[in-house]
Amino acid sequence: MSKLIQKKKVGAPILTNKEDENFYEALKLYDQLQHKKALKLVTASLKKNSNHAACLALKGCLNYQLGNKSEAEAPILKAIGKEPRNHYVNHLAGMYYKLIDNYEEAAKWMKAAVDNGSPNTGIIRDLAYVQTQIRDYKNLVVTRQQFLEKQPGYRANWTSVAVAHHMNGDHQQAYTTLQKIEDIIREHLNEGDRYEQSECILYKIQLIGESGLVEKALDQLEKDEREIKDKLAFLEMKGRYLLMLNRKKEASVVYRQLLKRNPDNVQFYILLETSLESASKPVEIRLKLFDKLASFYPKSDPPKFVPLLFLPASHPEFKSRVREYLLSQLKRGFPATFVNLKPLYKNLAKRAIIFDIVNEFHNLELSQFDPTVAVWTKFFLAQHYLYVNDLEKAEESINEAIEHTPTLVELYILKARIIKHKGDYELASAIMEEGRELDLQDRFINSKSTKYLLRANKVDQAIDTISLFTKLDKDAANGLKDLHVMQANWVLVESAEAYVRIYKNYVKQLQALEAKDEHEEGDKNIEEEKEEILENIDMYMGLALKRYNAIVKNFKIFFQDQYDFHSYCPRRGTPRDYVETLKWEDKIHTTPIYIRVIKGLSGIMFEIYDDQVRKHNAQLKELLEEEDTKSKKKSNGKKKLKSPKSQLIKKKSKLVPLVELEKDDQDPFGSKALSDLQNNANGKIMDILLELAKTVSDEDPMLKTPWEIVINVYLNEGKYVLALQAIRSLEKVMTRRGSAKSRLVGEYVLKLDESINKDTQINSAIAQVVSKSIIAAFPEFTKDAPDAFLAIYCQ
Amino acid sequence: MGITIRRATIHDIQAMQNANLHNLPENYQLKYYMYHILSWPQASYVATTYDDITPEADLYAEDDGKAEAEVPEIVTKDVEDPKGDTSYIDKGEKIVGYVLGKMDDDPDAQNRKAHGHITSLSVMRTYRRMGLAEKLMRQSLYAMCECYGAESVMLHVRKSNRAALNLYLALEFTTSSVEHSYYQDGEDANCMKLELKLEDLVPSKFQKGVEDDFSQDLI
Repeated sequence: MSKLIQKKKVGAPILTNKEDENFYEALKLYDQLQHKKALKLVTASLKKNSNHAACLALKGCLNYQLGNKSEAEAPILKAIGKEPRNHYVNHLAGMYYKLIDNYEEAAKWMKAAVDNGSPNTGIIRDLAYVQTQIRDYKNLVVTRQQFLEKQPGYRANWTSVAVAHHMNGDHQQAYTTLQKIEDIIREHLNEGDRYEQSECILYKIQLIGESGLVEKALDQLEKDEREIKDKLAFLEMKGRYLLMLNRKKEASVVYRQLLKRNPDNVQFYILLETSLESASKPVEIRLKLFDKLASFYPKSDPPKFVPLLFLPASHPEFKSRVREYLLSQLKRGFPATFVNLKPLYKNLAKRAIIFDIVNEFHNLELSQFDPTVAVWTKFFLAQHYLYVNDLEKAEESINEAIEHTPTLVELYILKARIIKHKGDYELASAIMEEGRELDLQDRFINSKSTKYLLRANKVDQAIDTISLFTKLDKDAANGLKDLHVMQANWVLVESAEAYVRIYKNYVKQLQALEAKDEHEEGDKNIEEEKEEILENIDMYMGLALKRYNAIVKNFKIFFQDQYDFHSYCPRRGTPRDYVETLKWEDKIHTTPIYIRVIKGLSGIMFEIYDDQVRKHNAQLKELLEEEDTKSKKKSNGKKKLKSPKSQLIKKKSKLVPLVELEKDDQDPFGSKALSDLQNNANGKIMDILLELAKTVSDEDPMLKTPWEIVINVYLNEGKYVLALQAIRSLEKVMTRRGSAKSRLVGEYVLKLDESINKDTQINSAIAQVVSKSIIAAFPEFTKDAPDAFLAIYCQ
Repeated sequence: MGITIRRATIHDIQAMQNANLHNLPENYQLKYYMYHILSWPQASYVATTYDDITPEADLYAEDDGKAEAEVPEIVTKDVEDPKGDTSYIDKGEKIVGYVLGKMDDDPDAQNRKAHGHITSLSVMRTYRRMGLAEKLMRQSLYAMCECYGAESVMLHVRKSNRAALNLYLALEFTTSSVEHSYYQDGEDANCMKLELKLEDLVPSKFQKGVEDDFSQDLI
């Protein structure tokens, strides 16, 4: 963050009054982090002149720094209101909004400071960072350029301008900038600059290539070869350009060079085949090619495995090769042998051949080998049976293996998985525990055990188990805080899902009790039992929310994390990976785990919403009926307790240290998070959910889950036109995935139609419009024949 | 097998962090992985699986038309989103091993010699014994030497970690010192070191296969 006062006192005012003097003095103290002293001065000034805008703005920042966060924004807003063109006020406002991560506002006010003549160069730099953060590339170009003019002596500033142009879509300008500084600097480079030089050259060539001038890019690449240190990137680019220019023969040599460097990268084999145009040639020729490659790289997998992919199952070579391939792995005891072959399982004929080989080997040949081979063979068979969902046989095989060698951890991992597939999570977890106890030093089996405990809804035991491998602070009851700090999202998501299952179990209990209640009205014991169940529902729902929210927050951190790199990377000289990072951040929410999180969250949020609707309707009903005799009856039973039983309070306070995600967690059970959602305290719950889902679908419209959430939100809110649009977006996703006329889409169309029919408040004109649009979008749909429609939408 | 060894990119770091959390007690926040990739983009490698490296054409591959038409039955199309498992970075692609490498940046260092450092290395237990760790290491060492002119590389390993010690010995590391109570739980670390020479490091050399001198056509 830029210092407010520059070392050179540019533009220090000549004419000053006492308040101004105090302000400059306080500013100095602020820069020296002497916040308390600074606040004293500012307060004194404001006593004399409560309208001193700069002092007001500074007071806001100081309040924030001193932890008085709720009284930070007001003085700043007041200052802006009084002197919107005072660059000190602008600067302080910008800094404040940066502090609270409101980058839009920060950019606005920092820009105002620059435009209003702030002599401070630091603020130009800061402005560039926030503009990058909000992806305002158009203005970023201007800002980076401004800064370059102030400090043209650093290569980093040129690189920054080039990146700004590039992100703004102007490859030509980006290229020109890089070329210019390269020419200037070429004669002055010392050894320490060579790496940066190499990266900047590669970046420059990448830009040429991206703008479609492939020939020029290749030419430049060859010219600059001597200066390029990253030979892998050099060769990869060269190969790609040659392929694009259809100079395949030369490309093939490049891919051979690449293989020599890394014969374990399957991509190079595929590209080598592309450049040799061998994929369209007879199988025999491809076999020869790969045999040759295998003689070069006998210890690499692809030359042996890729032929198994392209050989037809009926080819005489397939059986002998796959046999050789898999038996050699079994004999060497690779736990992953089955996984390695799994891609072949998509082809049913190949699957059958593989099974026959292993089965025969198991039945006839095992005696000739070391006993461990028998274990791995049985292990393989068990995985095969699991894959084809023959769980009985899978269990039989793995039991044989365990009987044979009861000390091999991998066997228990598989057995637990098989039992899990049978649906017995308790037993599966117990078996994983057995495995864990065989190797207490290994965190991997510990992680597996933790996961299975969570699947069995034993959250506390799971956290105790994983805590054997976490950092434990002296006063910590378990490792949860460390897991949270370390962003262990897998633990958080599994915990959240466990809590969801637990509260749903309580909901079931409650329903059973209420059914009983019908007969024994007013039974005191039942009432008490109910209250306890209700309390548990709230607690576990809150905990689930809390865990999900922790992951959402981690993703906010992941997005924030890039901030420091806006200044670091240009200085470091790594623009290529920096640009890639910006693109990665732009899609950070499409990470598979995040999608799982919003799906889980949406489940809870839809339930809360349904509950809100039920309560609302019940209240309406009560009002209408004006009958209070039975008013005690709950809508669905999730009524808030007036005062929880002291026993429960005690139980909960004991639990706090076990569930806290951070020290002095303000909301350890997520109960505030829950009640905020229930009361729409931070906006309507459906709006919050929509925002979560939209963030993902905006980043990648080709995902299924976010659209399903969006559809359901719109249906809930009676926004049928938007719901229909979302259904069409979902259809695009399904079509792209090879499922045109997808059943899922069909069902949503019917649901939409049903929602419109059920909606008693809908304007009939709108209903007609939507119905027409449905038919326009889905011509097969007719109102009175949903089954016929689903018969078409059945994929 | 559909396991490939390739240079790590920023797109891999969440799954690398996940692998690290599953396998090792020394963990880092994501920003630390970012810092590695954005400071030494060439030094880290990952091992990833591919469910499907098969171009669609290969699934339906025929005996250049001569053999009887065999249309293999293919398991139904997958329309689901990528699996919500933290090890997945995309559809069918998950990270099963990684090496996180860096250079020692000491601006005050008297001698300007460059030294590499292995921050973290691990392979999921279910993918061990195939030599993935060794392959990851060889790639990283080669890159450190080639891109940053590293003259040596150094790492810490738990005294009790026999598998890791054996790996590093096989790579010809030697123990240069023992650091007492280096780890959180009080265990000692062996500090191991290896001098690097580029021409000796070419990863394929260690396979002792026929050398491809690019002089002959492959087909």
